[in-house]
Parts: sequence; C-alpha cells; structure tokens
Amino acid sequence: MFEFLSYGFMQRAFLGSTLIALSCSVIGVFAVLRGVTFIGAGTAHAAFAGVAFAFLMGFPPFLMALLFGLSTVWVTSYVQEKGRMKPDVSIGVFYTFTMALAILFIGLMQGYRPEIYGYLFGSILSVTKGDLIIIFGLSLGILGLLALFFKEFHFISFDQEMAEASGIPAKRLSFLLLNLISLSVVIALKAVGAILVFALLVIPAAAAQQWAKNMRSMMIYSAIIGVSSSWSGVLLSYWLDVPSGATIVLIAASIFVLSVLFSGKGKI
Amino acid sequence: MSLPGEPSLTRRPIIKFSNASFAYNNHFALEKITLNLHEGEFVGVIGPNGSGKTTLLKALLGLIYPNEGSLQIFDCACEALRCRHRARIGYLPQKERTDPNYPITVQEVAMMGRYGAIGLFKRPTRGDREIVLESLDAVNMADKQKKAFGHLSGGEQQRVLIARALSQRPEILLLDEPTTGIDASTQRRLSELICRLHQKYSLTIVFVTHDINMISPIAETLIVLKNRLHAIGRPEEILTKEILSPVYGEEVIVAERDQRPYIIVHDTHNHV
Ligand SMILES: Nc1ncnc2c1ncn2[C@@H]1O[C@H](COP(=O)(O)OP(=O)(O)OP(=O)(O)O)[C@@H](O)[C@H]1O
Ligand SMILES: [Mg+2]
Repeated sequence: MFEFLSYGFMQRAFLGSTLIALSCSVIGVFAVLRGVTFIGAGTAHAAFAGVAFAFLMGFPPFLMALLFGLSTVWVTSYVQEKGRMKPDVSIGVFYTFTMALAILFIGLMQGYRPEIYGYLFGSILSVTKGDLIIIFGLSLGILGLLALFFKEFHFISFDQEMAEASGIPAKRLSFLLLNLISLSVVIALKAVGAILVFALLVIPAAAAQQWAKNMRSMMIYSAIIGVSSSWSGVLLSYWLDVPSGATIVLIAASIFVLSVLFSGKGKI
Repeated sequence: MSLPGEPSLTRRPIIKFSNASFAYNNHFALEKITLNLHEGEFVGVIGPNGSGKTTLLKALLGLIYPNEGSLQIFDCACEALRCRHRARIGYLPQKERTDPNYPITVQEVAMMGRYGAIGLFKRPTRGDREIVLESLDAVNMADKQKKAFGHLSGGEQQRVLIARALSQRPEILLLDEPTTGIDASTQRRLSELICRLHQKYSLTIVFVTHDINMISPIAETLIVLKNRLHAIGRPEEILTKEILSPVYGEEVIVAERDQRPYIIVHDTHNHV
C-alpha cells in the first residue's frame, strides 16, 4: 500500500504539495485578515494568461506565469493609487481582462495543446524536478520574508494607518505582502491549477480563523490544515485515480465546514 | 517641565502650524492654519462633522503633508520627521469597529505600540513587555491581557487602544473622539483617565470631540475648526455665542451650570 513512496513522481508530489500548501496557507492568513484574498484569484487567472502566452510564443511558461501573475499586484496597486477605487473593483477589471487575453491566446494557437489544460486544472503528480527546485526556492523565500517581517505584517493587517503613523514603512511592506501573496499563488499554479489555487489560499486560513485566538495560532492551524489536506489529497488521487487539485480542495473545504460548525465561534 | 495649570506662554511650542493648508484630491479640508501647541498643553478640538478635526490629527501623524504653508513638529519640518520621532506621537484613531473574529489578544494590540520603537527585524524584549503591562495597568486592563480583543466591549477596546498609544511612551497623545459610542459613566471614567495620564506623564494632549461640555472643564485650550481655524483660546474665551454660533448655527445657547458655561446645540443642519 505504501509502495508509492518509492516512486520519484510521488516523492516530488509530496514534497511539492507540502511546500505549496505551507506557503499558501501561511500567507493566506494575511490575505484573509487584510481582506485581499481577491488578489489571489486575480493572480491565478492572470498567471494562466501568462502560461497561454508562453505556449503561443514558445517562452518558458513559469516565467510568463510569474510576470503576468505579479503584474496583477503592480497594475491594481497603481490603478488604486491613481483612480482611488476599491481593490475589488480594480482587481475585478484586471481579472476579466487577463481571462479574455488567455482565451484569445488559446484561440490563436495552432492545434490542440493539452498541456495548457494541465495549468487550468492542475496536476500535482506531474511536477518535475525542475518545478520542484523552483517551488522549493520560492516558497522558502516567501516563508523567510514572512518570518522576517512578521510583526510588521501583523501590524499593517490589523491597522494599516496606525502602523504608518508609528513610522513603520507600511505602504512599502503592504506592497511586499501583496507580492508575496501573488507569488505563492503562482508557484502553486501548475500543481493545483488556475481554477482551484485560490482555494488553497483562502480555505485553510478561513478554517483556522474559526479556532484561533491570535495570529500565531491562526498561522499554525492554517498550515496544519493546508498541509494535511494536501497530503490526503495526493494520496487519495493516487489510490482512487481522481484529480489531485480537486481532491485537495474538497478535503480542505470539508475541514472548513466542520470548523464553522464545531469551533463554537458562531455562537458569539 | 512646567505644570499643566501654568499659562502656555512659558512653555516651549512643540507643534507649529504656519499658514498650513491640507487637501484631499485638490479639495481643501483645512486652509491656512496658523497655531502653536506647547509642551504639556491639553488641547481640545471641536467643530462640526467634516470640519477637518481628523485631518488636523493626520497632519500631526505625518499621514498627510501640507499642500501650502508648513508644519513643524519637534522643531523639524513634518516631511522630514524621522521614524524615531514619529514614535513620540501616540494616536487613538476615530473608532471603526474591528472585526470581532480578528485573532488578536489585548496584550498583542498593546504591544503594537512598541513596534515603531523596536524597529524592523527585531522582536519585543522583556523591557517592551514590561512597558506594555504598565500601559495596560494604567487603563485598568492588565487583568484582561490574554483576552481576545474582538470580544471586548467598545469602551474596553478604546481603553486598550489608549494603552497601545501609551506603550509608545509618547510625548504627544492624539485622541480622535475617544468617547463616542460609549455610555455616560464609562465616558466620564475615560476622560478622567486621560486627565490623569496628562498629569502623570506630562503629556501634550490633542483631544478631538463633539462633546463641548465634557472637554471644556478639562482642556486648557480649545480650538474651533470649520475647515479653517475659527477660534483658539481658553475655554471660557471660546464658549460664547459670538464664537460658536457661526459654526453651530444661531440656535446655540450658552447657559450656565455650576458656574461654568454650558452649551446647548440645537442643530439639525450642521450634522451630516
Ligand atoms: N480620505 C479622504 N479622502 C477625501 N476626502 C476626505 C478624506 N478624509 C476627509 N476628507 C474630507 O475632508 C474634510 C474634513 O474631514 P475630517 O475627517 O477631517 O472631518 P472631521 O472634522 O474629523 O469630521 P467628523 O466629525 O465627521 O469626524 C471633509 O470634507 C471630508 O469629506
Ligand atoms: Mg473625524
């Protein structure tokens, strides 16, 4: 039953999904508390457009996913500053714009390119060694920066204006945080898929919030929920031959529902 | 250091507005403000909704800069004020309800006041924790430091936020309507607390409020704003019909209660 651990692709799937789940679920805590989870959804679709563009032009898909994905943050931050609108509006505009681009790029392609749909629905079992190196480096970077600026991110999530007034470079750190949220979505794209990656950012953190009393415990719970749903998702998808991304998300969602029902927070 | 009761003339001015104007999107919220605030002074700021009270505080915090004129804080142009000096100004923001499910404890909220002084890449030390405990103690919230902040009542939350400002060990404390939405007896306790803190730490206090009768016995100086500096002076100089009616309407009544002026504002059109 556990012979799967001797397969290289399973080892990569486990390691990759652990790292992805860790970075998404930990940074998801800030995304949920700041109310900027939408940046994750925006990033996922923009990054998918990047992948489509890469396939069209013969560029490296990850690089294009990174560029398009992070541009969600850059463009919407800029538009927000200039146009003075709420983030959900500017992200909403950008989101649909990039989705239209993705559809256009796919339409311009010659013939049928099944790899693209891998990015849409995700396949953790197809993670290559090269993917793993990228995931490893970037998720370590994300978690490292989170640890380094933990107290500042905590402050700006709770009260941005006050953080700024205390002399913390709140605007710059807030921009950094958005970029890190976006980055963790991009590195999870191939494994979980553009449609479902948003779930990895939001669900573990939202479930953890039902139990947590402070930021630290919320992060720990979120990480535990994220990683354990990923592991069980990978296992189930291997044993039952069902899509991994969907399985991971369904398990996380069940944990969320149970948390809402049984944490006792709803009674307050 | 001079005592709060002394006339402000003998004290050092630490905040100097000279002909300063502040705008949001080219729309002036405050125009041509010229005034000095002194070390240890207790200043009340009144004015109708939208008259620029919060804007005045934001200017002092360095969240906005003057479009015209200048603002000097601690003898330094506000644009050039360093982080270390920003930490000398504590702030209690105008109340917005925090999400009751935001996972944070009372102690953690109060600790945030130290973050500016602790600086990037460093963690709170035992000394920081002691200061935080002392601040929570000053507002009578030390016994609730492990509680979830979101589960406190409005008045308790205000006290924790005052503790956060005190944790900064500020020289200037800015309070934006700290007593709105709080019941009368808690309101009284809160303003007494602020007076005590003013004396204990020789704090300079800028206290924004709509409650003229609450602020006038405790403030040494009152500022009346109406997008300009309408009036500034000792409360008994300010609380006259001549000064208040252009701002609050002709219906303002200056009565007397316990040998002090007592203001009754019958306004229906000044409040938005
Ligand atoms: N962030 C902002 N963007 C644009 N305009 C603003 C902003 N903040 C305040 N204003 C405008 O500036 C003016 C002064 O606002 P301010 O918040 O200083 O008033 P206030 O005296 O504190 O009012 P209140 O009693 O309602 O708190 C108002 O006309 C307001 O519409
Ligand atoms: Mg205000």
